[in-house]
This record gives sequence, C-alpha cells and structure tokens, in this order.
Amino acid sequence: MPDLERLEKMPRPAAPGRFAGWDRWWLLFAAVGVLVVAMTTLWPDPYRRIVAFMADGIVVTIKTTVISYLCILIVGLIAGLGRISKNVAVRGVASVYVEVVRGIPLLVQLMFIYYASPALVQGLGNYLLANVPALRGAGESLANFSINPQVGAIFGLTFCYGAYVGEIYRAGIESIPRGQMEAARSLGMSYVQAMRHVILPQAIRTILPPLGNEFVALLKDSSLVSVVAVADMTRRGREFMSQNFNPLETWTMVALLYLLLTVFAARIVSYVERRSSYVR
Amino acid sequence: MCAEAAEPIIRIRNVHKWFGQVHAVRGVDLDVRRGEVVVIIGPSGSGKSTLLRCINHLETPDQGTVVVDGIPLTESKNINKVREEVGMVFQQFNLFPHLSVLENICLAQRIVKKRERKQAIDIAHDLLAKVGIPEKADSFPGQLSGGQQQRVAIARALAMQPKIMLFDEPTSALDPEMITEVLDVMLDLAREGMTMVVVSHEMGFVRAAAKRIVFMDEGTIIEETTPEELFTNPKQERTRQFLSKILH
Repeated sequence: MPDLERLEKMPRPAAPGRFAGWDRWWLLFAAVGVLVVAMTTLWPDPYRRIVAFMADGIVVTIKTTVISYLCILIVGLIAGLGRISKNVAVRGVASVYVEVVRGIPLLVQLMFIYYASPALVQGLGNYLLANVPALRGAGESLANFSINPQVGAIFGLTFCYGAYVGEIYRAGIESIPRGQMEAARSLGMSYVQAMRHVILPQAIRTILPPLGNEFVALLKDSSLVSVVAVADMTRRGREFMSQNFNPLETWTMVALLYLLLTVFAARIVSYVERRSSYVR
Repeated sequence: MCAEAAEPIIRIRNVHKWFGQVHAVRGVDLDVRRGEVVVIIGPSGSGKSTLLRCINHLETPDQGTVVVDGIPLTESKNINKVREEVGMVFQQFNLFPHLSVLENICLAQRIVKKRERKQAIDIAHDLLAKVGIPEKADSFPGQLSGGQQQRVAIARALAMQPKIMLFDEPTSALDPEMITEVLDVMLDLAREGMTMVVVSHEMGFVRAAAKRIVFMDEGTIIEETTPEELFTNPKQERTRQFLSKILH
C-alpha cells in the first residue's frame, strides 16, 4: 500500500513561473561588471588609467580569440573527419597530428612557431642561396623570412586547439547512431551529403557544450601569446605594472577583465545550447 | 513486356559475407522478379538481414555478384545509382531527428533528385496522405509514435520513386497495436505492384501479400516456397521446426 500522504509531501518541480527560462548566472556577469565600473569610477587612479592603457589589449585578446576559434572549428572538423576516415593514410596523418600536438605544451608550441620556425625557414633560404643558384629568388625571400607575431599567435593557437577540437568532433560524430548514416546512404546520398545534412547537424548539437568550453578555455589560454610579442591584455598589464610599480592593482584589474569576458562567453554558449536542443 | 517481366530485377549469385570469423552469408542465389513480393524468414543470426543489406550495398559482399535492374554493384558510382532505385525501411526507423517529418521526406528529393522545393513538398504531402498521417507534416520524429515514425520512413523511401523496396524487420520494434497500421501500408504497396523484399515474421503479411517465402538458416537458403506450401506442407525438417516455434 503506497503511503499517499508521504507522496503528497514530496517536493514537486516548481511550476514554470515568469522567470522559468531565465539564466541566473547573468547575475555573476552583472556583479563583475558593476565591480569594474565601481572601481574605475571611485578610484580613477590607478584603475581607470589601467583600463585606458589596456583598451587596445582587450581588442587584441578578443580578436585573437575569435579569429583563432573560427580557424579552429575548421581545422578541428578536418582533423575529426580524418580520424574516422576509412583511408589508412588520412587516418594516420590525423592521428599523428592529434597525438603530437597533445603531447607538447601550448606555450612551447607558440615559442617554436615564433622563434624556431623562422630560423628553420631562413636556414633553408640560406642553403638555397649557397647551393642552388637556379632558385635564387626563392632563396632570398626565404632567407629574409620573418613572422608577424599576431599571425604566428593565431596559427599557434589554431594548430594546438585544432587537435583537441578534432577529438570533440570525432566523439560527436561517433555518438550518432550508425543507422542515421545507413538511412541517408540508402536514400542515395553520398558520404559527403550525408555528413553535411544528416550527421554533422546532429553531432554539432551534441558537442556544443564541449565546443563552448573550448572557446572559454581558448580565451584564457590566449594570454600565453603575450610571450611571443603580441600586445594582448596580459602583455599590456605587464607593461603597465613595470611602468607604475603597482602589481596588486594591475593584476586585480586584469583578472577582473578576463573574468568579465569569460563569464559573458559562458553565458552566450549556454544560451546557444538551450536554443538548439530538440526532442530525440 | 513479357520478356521484361520474366527478367529478374534483382539477381543474387553465390554471395558470401564474413564478419571477422563469422560466415554470415554462405553462397546464396536468389532472383526477384518485377512486382514480386518476397519474404525472407529464419531464426535470428541466419543472415537474412545481411543478405537484404547486400542488395543496396550497405554490406559489401566478400564474394559473389548482386545485379539490380541490370546494374552490377561493383563500382561505387553504380552503388549510388542503385540506391536511388532501391528504397529501404529499417527496424529502428532511422528518421532524422533534427528535421521535421516534411523535411525528412524532402531532404533526399532535394539533394539527390535535385527536385524543386515546391515539387518535393507536394510529393511529400501526397505520400503522407497515402500512409495515413497527413496532419503530422510539421511534427518532429520524437513527437510521433513508433508506428507513425515507421510510416514516415516508408514515405521517405517512396519519395525517391524506387523500383524496389527493402524492409528489414519493419515491425519488430513496434508495440503490438501499431503493427497493423504499418502492415496495411505495406499491403497497399504490394497491391500496387511494388517489388518488395521483406525480412519479417509477420505471418499475417506473409499470407496476404507474399508471393514467395525464402527460409534461411545459418547463412544459406534452406527452402524457397509459396505461402500455401509453407503453412500446409513444408518440405524441410528445419523449416518445420522453425514454424512450430513461431506459429503458436
């Protein structure tokens, strides 16, 4: 005999009220925002000066992150498709890429691209100049090769994150039941058509949460590009500190600005996620 | 006309299929003529689904030939051509969950047959009426019952105007009260003269529509017979044993 009275007392799911779909984490964003505004208003020196000094760095950080992320989505898709390819050579190349990149710290990869890779290309150019007269033009341009810090940073972030995101794509594609591909193929679609219209649209909904996490992680890891001559938020913060000798105030403000960006990004990610769910 | 009718639309010769160490299909020969309804029965693991999937190359035979409507399935170009002519209905429906019912039926029409949007939608509405759920065009698969989903799957396959329809246990994943609605659609198709190869144990359908029954066990065809023969006088002992288990 079920205890009806106890069932009555069980907590019930709250009735959908006016704020049912409202994401309360926006409050954290608002709180951090208010804190930053209050600090810059109440103590213009040094906080307003710090923000003004770093304004271009904020732009660089956002630009680097967004451009890299767009490139990463493409490189990751190629890596992910390569990892599940039936072609042994394609799968091999993709797998080696993923394993190598995941085994080397991002900071070291950035250093390699900025410092080591120009030396490599210049060395090749000098070799051509000395030994292959026919390729004199190519040799000269290679010997004078230098890398734009911004481009190098975006390339480095893309190279590294592409491997991780590739694994996310792979997991997402493999999570779609085999029957979906079979149904699409049995209707006469090619592999590419089935991927594009049937598998990927479903896989992307599944992997939106990890993809969003990668964006937030990338935003934070973009601070590493400050060591390869990119004037992002972190580098500008360090410059301000060394000019004014106020580490506590500087790094507090830098940390708060990063927090503001990441909390905002996380909210956008969560919004997109909820918008794109569907009944299975 | 007569010559064409006599020529089999599906010709399977000496087909073998291994899955690792498992020899799933062991040298099967089978002809299906135009407008014929062939039902394949047999215990689970007897290779009937694998054989069916060899017809549109969802499984590649390791040995032997499959010729569909005069097109041998050897080159990958031919495979897509054949798949356009062969519709398939699966046990698990395999509707595309991210698309509405209408979009499910229109997608392949648009990108494979390159039909105009309007034309594809008209065909989809006609087919939904034919399978008895015209009001579900804007629903999503997750909102439909199993029987409704399977009828959408049939409409989706028919939209490609196939010459042959393959059914892989189309009612096995359905609740009992939904089986009839799917079988009725299949019976209509059979009456219209569609060539059908069906893996199913629905003896009601066998009685009403099957022209030929193929009994498979352990990867080979044990017996090919008519429904009347099967129920009254099966020749093989193995067939008799199997029937006594499924007819109760």
